[in-house]
Amino acid sequence: MIEQLLGDYTLRTVTLGAAILGAVSGVLSTFVVLRQQSLLGDAVSHAALPGIGLAFLITGSKASLILMIGAGIAGWLGTALVLLITHSSRVKYDSALGLVLSVFFGIGLVLLTFIQKSSLPNQAGLDSFLFGQAASLVMEDVLTMTVVGGLALVVILLFWKEFKLLAFDPDFARSLVLPVRWLDVGCTTLLVVVIVIGLQTVGVVLMSAMIIAPAAAARQWTDHFGMMTLISMIIGMLCGTGGSILSATTSNLPTGPIIVVCTSGVVVMSILAAPHRGILWNKIRQILQNRRLRAEAVLLDLFDLAKQHETPEYPHMEEVLRVIYPQSGSLLRQLQGLQSKGLVMRNEHGAWALTPDGVIRCHQLIKERTP
Amino acid sequence: MSTVIEVRDLTVAYRENPVLWDIDLDVGSGTLMAIVGPNGAGKTTLIKTILGLIKPAAGQIRILGQPYHKVATSVGYVPQRGSVDWDFPTSVLDVVLMGLYGRLGWIRRPGSMQRKEALAALEKVDMVDYSHQQISQLSGGQQQRVFLARALVQKAQVYFMDEPLQGVDATTEHAIIDLLQVLRSSGKTVVVVHHDLQTVSSYFDEVFLLNIRRISSGPVSEVFTDQNLKLTYGGRVAIIKEPTS
Repeated sequence: MIEQLLGDYTLRTVTLGAAILGAVSGVLSTFVVLRQQSLLGDAVSHAALPGIGLAFLITGSKASLILMIGAGIAGWLGTALVLLITHSSRVKYDSALGLVLSVFFGIGLVLLTFIQKSSLPNQAGLDSFLFGQAASLVMEDVLTMTVVGGLALVVILLFWKEFKLLAFDPDFARSLVLPVRWLDVGCTTLLVVVIVIGLQTVGVVLMSAMIIAPAAAARQWTDHFGMMTLISMIIGMLCGTGGSILSATTSNLPTGPIIVVCTSGVVVMSILAAPHRGILWNKIRQILQNRRLRAEAVLLDLFDLAKQHETPEYPHMEEVLRVIYPQSGSLLRQLQGLQSKGLVMRNEHGAWALTPDGVIRCHQLIKERTP
Repeated sequence: MSTVIEVRDLTVAYRENPVLWDIDLDVGSGTLMAIVGPNGAGKTTLIKTILGLIKPAAGQIRILGQPYHKVATSVGYVPQRGSVDWDFPTSVLDVVLMGLYGRLGWIRRPGSMQRKEALAALEKVDMVDYSHQQISQLSGGQQQRVFLARALVQKAQVYFMDEPLQGVDATTEHAIIDLLQVLRSSGKTVVVVHHDLQTVSSYFDEVFLLNIRRISSGPVSEVFTDQNLKLTYGGRVAIIKEPTS
């Protein structure tokens, strides 16, 4: 398969393009998710569509750089409009986003239909920007993506600590007289740039997933900002690569959607299984903890019962213990569990008693629980 | 005692409603001042406006005789604890280091020197042991101490703190007040938005009573009277005097 990957021009180009896109959007994703601007990515990508149509109408060219510039300007205008609406009217941020998203997207669709129905030369294929058409990528496109994406990463690295503070505590950043407004504009511009370079591969409709999913997944695995960015980048890259190979080797699956499905799969897995934050992980930890607490309770009860006798290892029948736990069906299981740990033992009459280790454990527990 | 903070005729408005109206405020060096007033009185707005976070409609603000942006490195800020997302993936030490970003300048990253400074600040709030903890694992009082350490590391002349005692336990409250008094004795100026009327007299030197307008300000003993409090809160409040025995 590696041979095929290296030998096949289209597959190689698409995989490389998707990997670069995944990496860059993965990094940006961290900032977008932590700044709670996930919806902004969606609005920007939808707002980019009329830019593509207009760029083609004005220049008559389908060169990716020209269409990208058109998309970028439109996406950026969309964002500016969202800010303008929220600042100058009582319309809330999310409503403004929805408004801009649908209006721009609508205009974009009108333009695309108009172009398709027209007799303009060379007009076929613009609609592939809706869902992306990775197979149409050529090496030149990948080169553009690499340069533009690389620049975006350099900017993020240079202003790393400023962007981080912007994400965590913008008011404090402002009190340090950092130019928060410009940092914000910079961060948003980077978002627009990343979305624009992804449009040809993933498309207007699904691009927001690339901006949200990698970081949403990465957050589950770490509590460290830098590490989260790195994991997010790797998730983006792997899903980009994996998705494009999968779509090439399986009969005609569309690349963009497959990449998005892969990324979503990683998100679901991370939300369920990641240590510390994962749902399953927490559930299992809770069950284990409850079981341990119940077993310890039984152990301590044996200890208390034995206090009335001359030795802490004095045995008691299960029935005696059952008086303390009339409802518990699992008493025998607790005792057997403790037995397997060598903390209690059963004598020849079937009575349960603490072992010397069990006595030591009881003393430890009592000490731990006394504040 | 020289004037450190000087505010003249400050007016701030959201849309058509004034939030602060014609505020005058003077604070001298080595003063521990409480800003007191009901909800919506504009306490946070006042601090944020002085720090340049909100643009005033009118008025003048001077800190150490200069506009804020010229002396920002001499000013420390403790925002309200609830103003940030404590689930942000970062450690206690990282948050404290943010206090140094202003002095570090662009592009430079904090190094071992800065880490040492940050740890020293954490030491002062008794949080060194938590320096590598993720911030979401902290209690409210610990979060407040981290924010305080971030301001301390700024090595400022003037501190603005927005409700640093909000929702902290008694131990933390005393630790914070001790710290503020140490700052005051070393000649710093500390302005604190404060909610608990019962403790104003014992904690602070001066008080600024605010309800959109300045009601009164000056030494606690002169200004913090039932009469003034009624003016501030609209007659619905009185301080319960501790019985003198």
